[in-house]
Amino acid sequence: MQMLKGNHITVRYGDNAVVDDLSFELQEGQWLMLVGPNGAGKSTLIGAISQGVPYTGDILLEGADIRRCKAAQRARKIGVLSQKNSVGYGYTVEEVVRLGRYAYTSGFLSTRDDDGKAQVERALELTGLTDFRHASVLTLSGGELQRTFLAQVFAQDPQILILDEPANHLDLVYQKHIFSLIGQWLKTPGRAVISVVHDLSLARRYGTHAVLMNHGKCAAQGEVDAVLTPENLRSVYSMDVYAWMKDMLAQWQ
Amino acid sequence: MSKKLGSLFLAVLMMFGMTAVMAESNTITVTDMFGREVTIDGPVTRVIAMAPGDCEILCALGCEDALVGRGLYCDYPASVAAVPAVQSGADMNLEEILALNPQVIILNDMAHTTDQVAMLEQNGIVVIATEADSIEEVYVNIRLLGKVMGKEAEAEAIIADMQATFADLAARSVKSGKTVYFEVMPLEWGLWSAGTNTFMHELAEICGVTNAFADIDGWQAISQEQVIARSPDYIVLVTGMGDSAVDEVMGRAGWGDISAIRNGKVYNADSYTMTRPGPRLKDAAVALFNFLYGAE
Amino acid sequence: MKKLSEHFSWGTYVLLAAALIACLLLCICVGSVAIPLKDTVVALWNSLRGLEIPAGISKNIILNVRLPRVLNVALVGAALSLCGAAMQGLLRNPLADGSTLGVSSGASLGAVLALALGVSIPGFSLGGTMLMAMLFAFLSLAAILGLAYALDRSLSTNSIILIGVIFSMFVSSAINLIISFAQEHIKSITFWTMGSLSGTNLSCAGVLALALLLCGGVILRYARELNAFAIGEDNARNIGVNVRRVKLIILIAVSVLIGVSVSVSGAIGFVGLVMPHMARMITGPNHKRLLPASMFAGAIFLLLADLTARTILAPVEIPIGVVTSLVGATAFIAVFYRTRKAG
Repeated sequence: MQMLKGNHITVRYGDNAVVDDLSFELQEGQWLMLVGPNGAGKSTLIGAISQGVPYTGDILLEGADIRRCKAAQRARKIGVLSQKNSVGYGYTVEEVVRLGRYAYTSGFLSTRDDDGKAQVERALELTGLTDFRHASVLTLSGGELQRTFLAQVFAQDPQILILDEPANHLDLVYQKHIFSLIGQWLKTPGRAVISVVHDLSLARRYGTHAVLMNHGKCAAQGEVDAVLTPENLRSVYSMDVYAWMKDMLAQWQ
Repeated sequence: MSKKLGSLFLAVLMMFGMTAVMAESNTITVTDMFGREVTIDGPVTRVIAMAPGDCEILCALGCEDALVGRGLYCDYPASVAAVPAVQSGADMNLEEILALNPQVIILNDMAHTTDQVAMLEQNGIVVIATEADSIEEVYVNIRLLGKVMGKEAEAEAIIADMQATFADLAARSVKSGKTVYFEVMPLEWGLWSAGTNTFMHELAEICGVTNAFADIDGWQAISQEQVIARSPDYIVLVTGMGDSAVDEVMGRAGWGDISAIRNGKVYNADSYTMTRPGPRLKDAAVALFNFLYGAE
Repeated sequence: MKKLSEHFSWGTYVLLAAALIACLLLCICVGSVAIPLKDTVVALWNSLRGLEIPAGISKNIILNVRLPRVLNVALVGAALSLCGAAMQGLLRNPLADGSTLGVSSGASLGAVLALALGVSIPGFSLGGTMLMAMLFAFLSLAAILGLAYALDRSLSTNSIILIGVIFSMFVSSAINLIISFAQEHIKSITFWTMGSLSGTNLSCAGVLALALLLCGGVILRYARELNAFAIGEDNARNIGVNVRRVKLIILIAVSVLIGVSVSVSGAIGFVGLVMPHMARMITGPNHKRLLPASMFAGAIFLLLADLTARTILAPVEIPIGVVTSLVGATAFIAVFYRTRKAG
């Protein structure tokens, strides 16, 4: 089943097209990796999908224009983890996570969110934050904060997860933990993931599909093995990425 | 045609005037209200008055012809409207003043800074500062300006007239112990009243009544409830608010039991004569007396 | 969902209301004229029960002077503080407030314009200035935020302060310009900008109460959305907040409240800035607790400031803004120093 589709998406900042006529498709069960060098337009594309950045072209959510979709309705289907998550006030972890249930309780005739408490508890548990629930987010480390917002997205219980650098600030243990968590999450039918990942090994290990971006354009897309080839990477990164990674690993042997 | 003739005539006159100065070397030395000794090459024929009170004094001295400029708020006598107006106080504009080429500028001590004075003096203009918080100081001002303008006899006559009026009113007044409340700013903007060291306070004394706010100094914001509690016998509005002012005061919530309101003793005074340090304080005193004792 | 823990319990509300009522009573009983407590109580009690009130000074002062003023002060304090709390959350900046951003000055500009042009509503003398003050408060907010987004999308503290200073300067020169064009209204305009609570009456209090009920109600209803904004606008969008609509509604509510407050009392600084800070130190940042706490704190603070202003030099009154600025600025430095040190 097709879940999300982008048709000729273009985002301009002045005369500069940051995302340039890019199209993609996301099917149920796919984990789509957005890969490319800094400034390729990956985060901007995610901004467009989450309706935070004005764009031209169409983004279809289950076949319907996402622009017509009400904010709360959209949030029940799509959960977004932004790259920049800093908090100015001392909310507790639980308060932040609980806000993930907003889409289910907003509106004048707010429906009872019977499911909510359980979802929040599970999200806290999955991200290992149960013991931190009453801690102020101002006292958290970068990794703990990242997990807090990930827990918020889990509590939101969407069908599509959109993650901008989910491994940001996370040490290796949590990187592995989070990625396998998302992999686990994806196993339930009717779900899909899009994520921006810098670490090409992670992209290759967990992704099913990939879009390789360069200067706002799509350099290659399709199944992850077909996209992240040494040739494609060399042309986009202007260096022999494959040789470099092999060299890095060789140090450990 | 006649205008041309007139200016020619004026020029001739001025030439005569100047030769006269050179012949007599007419220097005037006065001490102004800054306490500065000022020497002027007289006679003074071109003068600017910044403050309305000083403008009124000059005109009363018969020097309206010498007035080449006036502060923006000088409006009495009505004929001064024809004299060019200049900005005064913090907005004082040197260019505007220099264009009028005055010999002497008379300004209010409080409204201007010493920097402004120095700037005027550097440009060859003699500065005379005036200030008056009491009627006695107004007399000093009148004498000062009389001397500057060479009208000492006229000055003494004005003072004598004022003194005679005040003495007459004082003699006719009854020391009844009744109180009067002067309102200088209306309730809408926060009540202000006048205490000691104001003309209003002195005028009340002359007319035999007691200022209800004799415990404050100068003009101050006061509490509404104080007016109600003190229940003055007379209310005099010095707010310059126009005809509806009395009705507004009469209708104020909670004021109904004030003696003055109960007896309808509220008077909308001419705020200019009551507050300007000038000869018309005499008129203010008469008006106040007539209000208190009933006009004959 | 365990909802109760985010809200205040009823007990807390009762406690806050008791503190406010105690404060109101204190401010009615104490003034520059000493009135026996017994007379005060009799006047209040009888008026509450609709009984005959013994005529005299105490009735006039208590019911016609102090009561309206105290009510106005409390309502203005609550409104300004609520607006401050809402804006600090919405813009995710602890320095955002009607006075720091220049919204209050904008509202003053509107009121001054109404005075200069003679805009008035028949039957309600305050109506013209009030309407224009509201309109200009909103226009100012729109202009300020437009400017802010053009300069710096993240709305950092520096740009907030910078824009507030620039905008306030712009407004004060605009007011001066209006004054020089409208010489015949110079007196009313000049004194209006100084602001005073002494002439306020029960109909002012009625308008304020209505505005606070409507707009305050709207703001309180959006407590969750404000929490989301306080965490981040992107985050708010991601969890399903209709960012544009909610922002517009809150800004309109804030503009109306600031406009009404400014036209009743003039621009009073520091209440909206400092009181939400103080409240936040006790309740934490969750707007479900912060907003009501800020309202109570603002009302109590302004009541005490007004009490000081009208009694400390009796029979003379000092401007209430002097008291709020003096206390507010000191408190603000202390609070800011503490949070900076802690953070």
